[in-house]
Amino acid sequence: MSARNRELLALVPVAVLLIAGFTAVFITRSDEIGDLSLIYGGYFFALCLVAHLFLRFRLPHADPYLFPLCALLAAIGLVVIYRIKDDLAFDQASVFVLGLVLFCLTIVLLSDYNVLERYRYLIATAGILLLLGPFITRNQVNGAYLSVDIGPISFQPAELAKICIVIFLASYLAEKREMLSVAARRIAGLTIPPLKHFGPLLVVWGAAMLMLVFIRDLGSSLMFFGAFLALLYVATGRLSYVLIGLAMFAIGSLVLGNNISHVHDRFEIWLDPFAGNAPEGAGQIQQSLFAQADGGLFGQGLGESLLKLPGPFAPDCQQPFPECGSILPTPHTDFIYAVITMELGLFGACAVILIYALIAARGFKTAVMAPDGFSKLLAAGLTAIFALQAFVIIGGVTKVIPLTGVTLPFVSFGGSSIVANMILLALLLLVSDRARRPPPEPSQPGPTDLERAPA
Amino acid sequence: MIDTEPIAVALKFGFLAVLYLFLFWVSRSALRELRRTAAPAPEATGFHAVGPGGRAAATDAYLVAVRGGGLPPDARYDLFGGLSIGRSTEADVRIEDRFASAIHARLYSRGASYYVEDMNSTNGTFLNGAQLDGEAELSDLDEIRIGDTELRFELRLPGDD
Repeated sequence: MSARNRELLALVPVAVLLIAGFTAVFITRSDEIGDLSLIYGGYFFALCLVAHLFLRFRLPHADPYLFPLCALLAAIGLVVIYRIKDDLAFDQASVFVLGLVLFCLTIVLLSDYNVLERYRYLIATAGILLLLGPFITRNQVNGAYLSVDIGPISFQPAELAKICIVIFLASYLAEKREMLSVAARRIAGLTIPPLKHFGPLLVVWGAAMLMLVFIRDLGSSLMFFGAFLALLYVATGRLSYVLIGLAMFAIGSLVLGNNISHVHDRFEIWLDPFAGNAPEGAGQIQQSLFAQADGGLFGQGLGESLLKLPGPFAPDCQQPFPECGSILPTPHTDFIYAVITMELGLFGACAVILIYALIAARGFKTAVMAPDGFSKLLAAGLTAIFALQAFVIIGGVTKVIPLTGVTLPFVSFGGSSIVANMILLALLLLVSDRARRPPPEPSQPGPTDLERAPA
Repeated sequence: MIDTEPIAVALKFGFLAVLYLFLFWVSRSALRELRRTAAPAPEATGFHAVGPGGRAAATDAYLVAVRGGGLPPDARYDLFGGLSIGRSTEADVRIEDRFASAIHARLYSRGASYYVEDMNSTNGTFLNGAQLDGEAELSDLDEIRIGDTELRFELRLPGDD
C-alpha cells in the first residue's frame, strides 16, 4: 500500500471517532440521536479529504501518518470544545479552514524550503519582534504579555515565533555544527565550544529568553529552551553541552524564582497546591486535579461530567459559560486536557499522550531520514518544540511541572496555535517528502554531505 | 422514545476502543518500517546515519586539513566511504592550490580499510613524503600532500567523543 493510500485509510477511523464523539455529546445533551453528528462528520471528512488530495498531488512521498494523527487531535479537540460550548467549536472549525489554507500555501510557497536558510537572520529578527509585539502594545492578561489585538483579531505571536526561532537555530547549526563540535577546548573535563562560533547563537537565544522573561510567558520560554538544547545536541552530539545548558537553566530558574513574585508563586503552588497558605491561584490546579480524579479509568463519558456547575472561579456569576461559572478555569484552552481526562478517563488521556508520542516518533524518523544537515535539524527542531509544548501544558495540568499557560497543540481552542501548528506540520511534511522520495537513479558514487553543506 | 442509556455506554467504550485500535495500527506499521530500515547508527544522534542517496555511511575516519589549500586549519571531513580532493568545484574537498588538478586524488574505503588513489594528476600526490604510485592503503595519521596543501588521515578511535 502506498503512503498516500495509507493516509486515506487512516483518515476514516478519525472521522468515525469524530462522529461517535458528537453523537455521545448529543445524547447526553438532549437524549436524541439525529443525523447532525453525521453531517459534522461529513464536513470534517471532506476537509481532511481536500488536504489529503492536496498532499497526494504536491507531496506524494511524505509521511503517511503525520497528517491523520494531527487530524485525530483536531477531532478530539472539536468534540471536547463543542461539549464545553458549541459556539466555540464553530469558531474553532473556521480557524481550521484558515489553517488548512495556510497549510497548503506553505507547501506551495516553500516547496524548496532551503530558501529559509538564506534569510535566517531576517527570520530570527522577525521572531524576536513577534515576541516583542504584546509588550509594545501593552496588552497584559494575567500578568503576562501574550497577545496582540489587531482590530477584532487577537493573536499570540509566541506561537509563530517558535517556528522562526527553530528555523534560525537549524540553519545556523547546520552550517556551524562542525566548528562547534570539533574546534572545542576541554576545560576541567567539560567541553567548551569556541566563543566565536557560539556567540551569535547565544545572542539570539539570549534575546529570545530575555524577552520571554519580560513578557512573562514562562511556558513558551521553557519550550524555546528545550528546543535549543535538543537542536544543539542533535547538531554536535555532545552531551556536555546539554549538561551545561541544564545547569544554566537551573541557575536561571533559581534566580528568577526568588526574585519575580509570580514565578515564585507558581513554584510554591506546584510544590503543594493544597497547603493552607498556598498563594492565590492554587485553586486552578486543585480543581484540575479533582476533575481528573473524577474521570476514573474510563471517564464519565463525553458530555456527562459536572463541568458546568457554578464553579469556584466566579460563584456569583450570572453570565453564560464560559466567561465564568465553570468548575475548571479556562476549560477550552489551558485546562482542556483536564476536561479530556474527566470525560474519557485515564485511558482516553493516555491515548492523547500516545498520539503526541507517535507524532514525535514520526518527526524524529523524518529527521533521521532527511538528506542534508539543515533538513535534519529543521525536522528535529520542529518536532522537539511541538512535543515540548504538549509536555509543558500536560505536565502543568497534571502537576508534573509548575503550571504555565501554553496551548495543547491542535486540541486547545485558539486561532494562533492552530494556524502556527498547521504551518509547522506543513514544514515537517515538506522535509518528509524529500527524505522519503526514492532516489532517481541507482546509487552511484554520488555527492557526499559536504557538497550539500552551505559554504 | 428510545432508551439512549445503553447507546451512550456503548459509545463511551466504543470511542476508546476505536481510538486504541487506530493507535495500535499506526504504531505497528511504524515499528515494521523501523525494523525494515534498521541499521546500526554510527553516532548517538544518528546525524550521519544515512548519507545522501540512502547510502549507509562509514564515519569512522576523517580527513583533517593541516596547512594550505585555503582550508580552515583543523577542518575535518567525514569520509562517508569516500571523497575526492581537487581544485574543481566538483571535488568533495575543494582546495585552492595552483599545483592541484581539477580532481587530484580520491580516498575510498574497501572492506575495513581506506585507500588513497592519485587520479592521474599533473603534479602527483605524496603520501608521507613519498610520491604515490597509483593507490596505497592508509593508516592512522598518514600525511597526504597535494601541491602546497597538507592533509592528514585520522581514524576515529572507539573512545573518541
